[in-house]
Amino acid sequence: MSLVTSLIMRQMRAPFIILIFAFSISVISMVVAPGVDAQGNTWHLSFFQAFYFVSYTATTIGFGEIPHDFSNAQRISALITIYLSVIAWFYSLGKIISLVQDPTFREALKKSRFSHQLERIPDSFILICGFGETGHALASTLTQRNIHTVVIEEDSESIQTLPLQDFAMEVPGLVGDAGNPEHLIQAGLQNPKCAAVLAVTSSDEINLKIAVTSKLLNPSVRVICRSEIKEYESNMFSFGTDFVVNPYDTFANIFAMAIHSPSLHLLYDWLTGVPNTDLSNPVYIEKGHWIICGYGRFGAGLYQQLLKSNIHVTIIDPSDEKRQEFLSKSENSANDFILGTGFDAHTLTVAGVENAIGLISGTNNDSNNLSIIMTARELNPELFIVARHNRQNNQKLFEATRANIIMQPSEIIARKIRSLLVSPLMIAFLSKARKQDITWANVAISRLTGALGDCIPNIWTLQVNEKEARALCEVLKLGRVMRVGNLLQDPRQRERQIKAIPLLLKRDNKLLLMPTDDIAIKPGDHILYCGTPGANRSMHWSLNDLHSLNYIMTYEDTPDGYFWRKFNAFLKRKERRNRRRNQLH
Amino acid sequence: MNREKVVFSFFMILALTLNFGFFTGEVDNPAHHNAYELFAVMVVNLIATVLKFGDRSQMGAMLLATSLVALVQLFSASFVWGYVVNIQGQAMTPETMATIISLSGGALIANFISVILLIIETSMMRH
Repeated sequence: MSLVTSLIMRQMRAPFIILIFAFSISVISMVVAPGVDAQGNTWHLSFFQAFYFVSYTATTIGFGEIPHDFSNAQRISALITIYLSVIAWFYSLGKIISLVQDPTFREALKKSRFSHQLERIPDSFILICGFGETGHALASTLTQRNIHTVVIEEDSESIQTLPLQDFAMEVPGLVGDAGNPEHLIQAGLQNPKCAAVLAVTSSDEINLKIAVTSKLLNPSVRVICRSEIKEYESNMFSFGTDFVVNPYDTFANIFAMAIHSPSLHLLYDWLTGVPNTDLSNPVYIEKGHWIICGYGRFGAGLYQQLLKSNIHVTIIDPSDEKRQEFLSKSENSANDFILGTGFDAHTLTVAGVENAIGLISGTNNDSNNLSIIMTARELNPELFIVARHNRQNNQKLFEATRANIIMQPSEIIARKIRSLLVSPLMIAFLSKARKQDITWANVAISRLTGALGDCIPNIWTLQVNEKEARALCEVLKLGRVMRVGNLLQDPRQRERQIKAIPLLLKRDNKLLLMPTDDIAIKPGDHILYCGTPGANRSMHWSLNDLHSLNYIMTYEDTPDGYFWRKFNAFLKRKERRNRRRNQLH
Repeated sequence: MNREKVVFSFFMILALTLNFGFFTGEVDNPAHHNAYELFAVMVVNLIATVLKFGDRSQMGAMLLATSLVALVQLFSASFVWGYVVNIQGQAMTPETMATIISLSGGALIANFISVILLIIETSMMRH
């Protein structure tokens, strides 16, 4: 028996028993009371008639005195019946209504609905803890890629709005504290279908607790954590959290990429972006004098990257402690540290904003950041501006400042986690791409734009195994050679190319960047592709349909049916014989 | 002392005794079987059944099942009685009485099993 039904039954015991008592007393009194008919004979209501009378009286329908007019004795019994049964009936109805409105009952109902939704998920799901901006962005893109997600969030309002969101598939949501192990188990942590846990609440402490709980209660589950503070990060790694995503570190790396090579940065932006949205433009970061306002986690991370590129930097921060620490390090001797907030023109002028190339407004207060950007723009309209954006509801304001790069923590985390989950090879690809020279990235960019057009491409991984590429495996078993370039042919028209590019080939832990067309495919290979959704479907077609694969390799549209196969073979033999005869003559 | 169990035992045993009282006597003799007694058995059995609503333990579910069996038997017995007397409009015949009594005999066995289960449950308790 489910919790909900047993809860209803248990609550209904008292009203039912009261109803039974009221009815039985009424029926007995109606049966016992003697009646007198028109002829003066004494008569009694039978049990059946009495039950009929009590039923229509209790429900206030009131058909009257049936089958004969009542005697006074019967009317006294009827009075008892009326007061007893009507009151009992109303009490029971009231109890049923209050049960439906009872918060505990509704809670139980919601939980049972949630577990039904969990049961309906066919293969595996990803548990998202925290449904803020990051959680929302993740649920949206994961469902787009046919990955089931489940959400646990403390704020009941955001869970209530879940069915109204325009997600590609149903996302079950549970109201609960993600830091509480009980609630995590209810949300499906120990469910065998749970593939990964994403701890993306805004608090590092809760994320840490989620990671510990998940690893203790379900060691096989993958755990990806959001963390903004270094101590928590190392703590999370200490017990085997699979990935820790720090928005500031991640952004500093992206920024370094942009300094190093605009093409590489663009490549990263395109390959990790949301598919089917517009392509972004390249960002050129010039070397010259830079100003950093706010020397916190964000500012310090970017400073390290600028320092590596030997760029002259002036830092503005109100904390004297940080200044002492900064000046005590020898590697910082070439750069300045000014005490101040940065949103007044004086400090910015002292820092040399008129001749500066770029400015980073990196305080943890959005109003300050906006104020810094406005003041700096007034003093030097040509400035390259990097803005730190802390709260989602200020998005419109930051867009209005037209800053060159806007850093939004939740967006960066969602992007990183998305590529970790959807295409694990993408991380390997990007780290390998970073080691290439600038011309490599330029060539890659031009190849991508040439082949894919003006949309962010889809990313998919081809695993050469029986399950994912049935036809391909069969052909390889026969000893025939398939090359990377073959798979890029259109299964509808062989001369045409589908709009896809192989990015990375993984074979026995060896990685090959941008494999060329002439490389032969072997069973067990993993190939990372980017391309249009249509190209993905076409490739799926030729991988799994022997017929299409045959067409790609041989130009021939071979018939499937027995008769036509025989007939074709006969025609071919005949043609061969004719050819031989012609050669002889 | 568990009050819930005591109240339930009271109704269960009362159902059994009343049922026995109605059942005894010659099978086909209407004078030996009282309609009020049948009504009382039904009411008491109904209460015993409702008392086990929503019980999630194994023993509770078993008791719910046996008392439901008794209820089904008793309702069919009273339906036969009501049908013959009120709808067909005949007086009570020995054949009809025999049917009613055999049905209530089935209910007696179900109630008897309930009481045995009750005894087992009580003796399994530590205190």
